[in-house]
Formats: sequence, structure tokens, C-alpha cells
Amino acid sequence: MNLPTQLQIGGKLLNANLKQAWRDKTDWITACMFAITALLLYSFAFNLTTGLVSSLLPGVIWTVFLFSGIFATGQSFQQDRQNGILDALKISPIHSMTIYIAKTLANILMLLLIEFGLLLGATILFSEPLFTLELLIIVTIGTIGYTALSTLLSAINLDRNNGGLLLPVLALPLLVPLLIASVEATSASLQQEASTTPWILLLSLFTIWSTAIATLMFPLAD
Amino acid sequence: MFLNNIYALRWKVLPPVAGVAMIGMAALALVTAPTELIEGDVQRLLYVHLPSALASYFAFTVTAVCCILFLLKRDFKWDSAAQGAAVVGLIFTLLTLITGSLWGKPIWGVYWQWDPRITTTLILFLIFSAYLIARKSSSLDSDKSARFCSIYAIIGFLDIPLIHMSVRWWRTLHPQPIIAKLNPALPDEMLLVTLFSVLAVISVAAWFITLGVETELLSQRLLKLKAIAKTNISEKS
Amino acid sequence: MSEIGFLFAGFAVFWAGMFTYLVILQVKIRNLQSQIDELENIIENHDEV
Repeated sequence: MNLPTQLQIGGKLLNANLKQAWRDKTDWITACMFAITALLLYSFAFNLTTGLVSSLLPGVIWTVFLFSGIFATGQSFQQDRQNGILDALKISPIHSMTIYIAKTLANILMLLLIEFGLLLGATILFSEPLFTLELLIIVTIGTIGYTALSTLLSAINLDRNNGGLLLPVLALPLLVPLLIASVEATSASLQQEASTTPWILLLSLFTIWSTAIATLMFPLAD
Repeated sequence: MFLNNIYALRWKVLPPVAGVAMIGMAALALVTAPTELIEGDVQRLLYVHLPSALASYFAFTVTAVCCILFLLKRDFKWDSAAQGAAVVGLIFTLLTLITGSLWGKPIWGVYWQWDPRITTTLILFLIFSAYLIARKSSSLDSDKSARFCSIYAIIGFLDIPLIHMSVRWWRTLHPQPIIAKLNPALPDEMLLVTLFSVLAVISVAAWFITLGVETELLSQRLLKLKAIAKTNISEKS
Repeated sequence: MSEIGFLFAGFAVFWAGMFTYLVILQVKIRNLQSQIDELENIIENHDEV
């Protein structure tokens, strides 16, 4: 199959994945509720009602995003496998990379929806300017970065009894550079410093690296 | 063929070489090496700390290479080799962290500093622990598990430079109290002892890797024989 | 603990770690080999029958 055909099919797969995510909203709603609950817990744990909010918020936000995102993407291929869709896709002429990219893009879009909603809520809760263009760009790049790796690792997660617990253990150590860069970029953006650029560059570098390596490795997992 | 012949000599060569080298290393490190002026005798922990770190990098490099070879050739002996090497890597990483803490306490006054190298070593430990947990939680002969875990180990290995870089940038942004540098430029005598120690510990690591690989290969063989025995018993009944 | 104490603790941990792992590996290899020999005997006897 040539590239334009693969792209066309990829678009259709993305559409199908998004429709499936919308139909089986439970996992995504659960991830959203987990994110909100975690944010509240952090508020109590670190007493985020006082003046120390802006120094702690970036870390709080990104740990919430990572945990809820990884739990949500952990179910990526579960439905497809149960319904036999994954096996059918594997024996079709559709390239594995197309399957992976479609799934990852669907995950990214769903997670961005949750994260932007959470940022809006956190803006109201903590009276901090969290819904700015710069911050939304940082969140988008970071989300692409961690979703790329966690979607690949969710395929590894199949057929395991302790699957739910294993994925964060696998994914989180790999995501340390992304966490550091995201938190520092967010912190610099909140404090309106000029130093967001190096961190956004590191974040972009990690995102490009993780996306490229996950896309290249996924076919080997077949 | 030549490589196979070299590999066949491993039981005859590695144990005596490693054993003698380690005894020599202990003598050199504790007796012959000069005492460092600033840090005193505790600086001699360099001769176990640095070689342990290098041995762990060596073991994890072997793991990554074996994972690549497994993905290319789909031969389970490479998967076994990767697991054997990973265990050795984890042990040396743990020794690096412990000896580093014991060295750090009298010098820094604390057992842990968020130094980029030490932090990266800890994350390296977590990554390859996760690799082994994932691999061991499935059947040894599971092709899917072996493939996926090999992919994870390769990604983890390639991620290390990025982790080191990001932790180093993070630390420079958050200034630390001025601490004594652990190993300023070494005088020649210390450098020689350090190099000898590195070679000694790496030869031990190589020996342990061959033993670890042997263990994994025997486990694979045992699994196959159990399957055959089970088939024979069910045929009989 | 004095400086020398930390030095010897470090070397002790290192050497103890080396020896412990070596002993564990040797015991494991011996156990695996004996299980393999036992199973090979069983399979051989079954084939003969």
C-alpha cells in the first residue's frame, strides 16, 4: 500500500478510534474523575490555598496529567483485542505504524480534552493564569510526548494479570525528562519569566524522540 | 567460529583472571594507593564506587545489544542473555548507589544528594528493574513478552542520556550548597589504581554475566523438558 | 561512625555483595542442572518403554 492510501486509512482508523472512545466513554470519564480527585487531594496535602500555590502548581498539574494519562492509555488496545479488531488489523495490509499512529492520535485528542478542562478548572480553583496560549502549547507538546510512549507500552501490557500496576512502573522512569522539562516550562510560564524557551526546546526534543522511537518500535512488537 | 571458540574459553579464563584481579584491586586500593589530602582515607571508596558504576553501564549495554539481537534473530538465547546481563547490571547499580551513599555521608554530611549522575543511576535502576519485572511476570518462552520487553529495554537504554541531561539542567537551575568535588583531577598513582580497579570489576561483571546467562539458558531448557515430560505423561494416560 | 568505618563498610558491602551473588548463582545453576538431569532420565526411560 502506498503512502497516500495509508494516510487515508489512518484517517479512517483515527475516526473509528475517536468514535469508539466516545461510545465507551467510561474509561475516559474515569480518568477525568481521577484527575479531579487527585488535584483536590494535592490541594489538601500541600495546602494550596495559601500563597505558595504558583511554585507548587506546575508539579501538581503535571503529576496529575501523567498519572491519569497513563491509566487512561493503559486501556488503549484492550477493547480492540477483546473484539478481535486488533487481530483483523494485523493480518490486513494496513501498516502497523498506521495502526499505532491512529491509536496514539485518538489518545492525544481525548487527553487534551481532559487536560484543557482541568486547566480551566484549576484556573478558577487557584486564581492562577493557567489557561494561557503558552501554557496550552506546553501542555500539548508534553501530552504528545508521554502519550506516544504510554500507548506503545500499553501494547506491552496485554495478557498480564498485574497489567494495571505494571504500566506506570514501566512508563514513569522513562518520562523523567518530560516531567522535568514540562514542570520547569510551566513554572517559568506562570512566573512570566523569559526562560521558558530552553525548557520548551528540551520538551520538544523529548517529544520528537519518544514519538519517533515509539512509532519505529511498534511494528517490531507484532 | 572464532567468537564461539573465545566464548567456549570463558569458564577457564574469566574466574581466575577476575579472582586474581579483585585481590590485587583490594590490596592496591586499601594499601598502595596514596591517601587523598582533602577527603582522607574514605576517598578510597572511589576504587569500588566508580568501577561498579562502569560495570553496571557495561552490563546494561550488553542487555541492550542482546535485546537488539533478539529482535533481529528471534532466538531465545539472546533473550536469556539479556535477562542475565540485566540482573548483573542491577546488582552493580545497587552497589554503586550504596557505596556512593557511604562515601557521601562523611564528605557531604548526607547519604543522598540530587547530583545528576547519582539521580540518573537511580532512574537506571528503576528502568531495568521494571524490565525484569515485566519479563519475569510472563512465561519464559512467551515470544510476545520477550519482544515487548526487549523493546522496552532498548528504549530505556536510549533514554539514559536524555535523563542525565535533563536532571543536570534541573540541578543547575536549583543551586546547591557548595560541596567538595568527589573526584578532582587524579594524580597518576590514583589514576593507575582506578584503571586497574575498573578492569578488575569489569572482568568480574563479565564472569557474572556468563553465569547469569547460563542460569537463564538452563531455565529455558528446563521449561522445554517439563513440557516434553508433560506431553509424554498425557500420552501415556 | 568514623571515616575509616565508612570506608570499611563500603568495601564490606561491595565484597559481600559479590560473594553473595556468586553463591546464589552457583546454587541456582546446580539446582537447575540436577532438575534437568532428572527430567532427561525420565524422558529417556519413557522413550525406551
